[in-house]
Amino acid sequence: MKKMTISLIVNGQEYDLVIPVNRTLTQVLRENLRLTGTKQGCAVGDCGSCTVLLNGLPVNSCLILAVEADGQEITTIEGLADGEKLHPLQQAFVDIGAIQCGFCSPGMLLTSKALLDKNPAPTEREIREAISGNLCRCTGYQKIVEAIASAKADG
Amino acid sequence: MLLPKFDYQAPKSLREACAMLEEFGAKAKLLAGGTDLLVNLKKKLLAPQQVVSLNKIKGLNEIIPKKGKGLSIGPLVTATVLAESGLVQEQLTVLAQGAGRVGSPLIRNRATLGGNIVTARPASDLAPPLMVLGAQLILKNKDGEREVEVEKFFKGPGKTSIKSKEILSQIYIPSCEGPCGSAYLKMGARKALEISLVNVAAFLELGPEGSIRQARIALGAVGPTPLRARSAEKILKGEKPQGKGDSLFLEAAQAAARDGRPIDDHRGSADYRRALIEILTARTLMSAYQQLMKTA
Repeated sequence: MKKMTISLIVNGQEYDLVIPVNRTLTQVLRENLRLTGTKQGCAVGDCGSCTVLLNGLPVNSCLILAVEADGQEITTIEGLADGEKLHPLQQAFVDIGAIQCGFCSPGMLLTSKALLDKNPAPTEREIREAISGNLCRCTGYQKIVEAIASAKADG
Repeated sequence: MLLPKFDYQAPKSLREACAMLEEFGAKAKLLAGGTDLLVNLKKKLLAPQQVVSLNKIKGLNEIIPKKGKGLSIGPLVTATVLAESGLVQEQLTVLAQGAGRVGSPLIRNRATLGGNIVTARPASDLAPPLMVLGAQLILKNKDGEREVEVEKFFKGPGKTSIKSKEILSQIYIPSCEGPCGSAYLKMGARKALEISLVNVAAFLELGPEGSIRQARIALGAVGPTPLRARSAEKILKGEKPQGKGDSLFLEAAQAAARDGRPIDDHRGSADYRRALIEILTARTLMSAYQQLMKTA
């Protein structure tokens, strides 16, 4: 088939869509659902700016066909905050200064949320390893690592 | 970067998938994790008419112990699952270590064992571990299946002996008979998202008299396919390592450097790679031996 009807559960809400089979999850989230917090950087899975959580696991959405995500639960950056209240990780990133241009931040936040969900007390080494698929051209990673470490301590 | 146009199929069983491949042949590409396929589609290196997803087929992502005879691993098991499985870490250490070095954590959550094998890059992180573990691959088509030893499977960069109508349906790894240990090391310019300069997998098994019964060393990124360091293995077989085995393993490592067939490329020179083969072989052998001695 060339077009499919799929159902995506994004940030707890179900969306029914008819889309061409050659659309990536990044494209559908950004262009069909207008959730532009997920970024497209390299489009080939090397930068991590397209990171979303798929059934809780951080993945490069640019390498996933949207039709393959049919019926799956997706969390984008828009789903992290609780209304107006920032997620502890988001607050930590703001407080510690882990955001410069912000392009990597959605991916960094989702990857680190998945890390803390799985490993609530990671070492610095574990944090750096967990974010090794998310590139940042601005910060040099130090503040990002400190922010994740501080969120783990409090959150 | 946009994907080209293609038709998409999502068979619900291996039988259905095989029937589709019978019909489409080389016009179809199988989709597992997608971390290689989608990149190749976007870069216009491939243009299949049909993309046949394996992901609706149940039962392809399991790790099943086979009653003391080894493990059967499904082709859709992801690198993350291999890296984090207690069973794989304990019994197939070298495979867990290799899996933990594939791409990045994000890639590992999607990349599959089967996909990595069939994509057959010379620097694959999973191929050398499978080679030293003596893995057998089961290839299925509509008429039946056949078994291929993993080292006979790789023919060249991106080339294997799989036929266009076949699906890699199972990877079988026999268990050791005596105390055994294994290790994997990858050397690259970066810690993640890196194609190896050199990678080495080593496996040692002791016989009842305490000498090396089985020694297998596989080198990646230093030839058109991952390759066995046969002269290094010859040096080790039948020997009883003294102490931590340093001098014996160093001798084997020097032979392994001669077994490799590296080339000069933008990642590094052949000379540098040869030097790395020696260092990584010595280290993986020592690590494998250390693990082995804990169980002996």
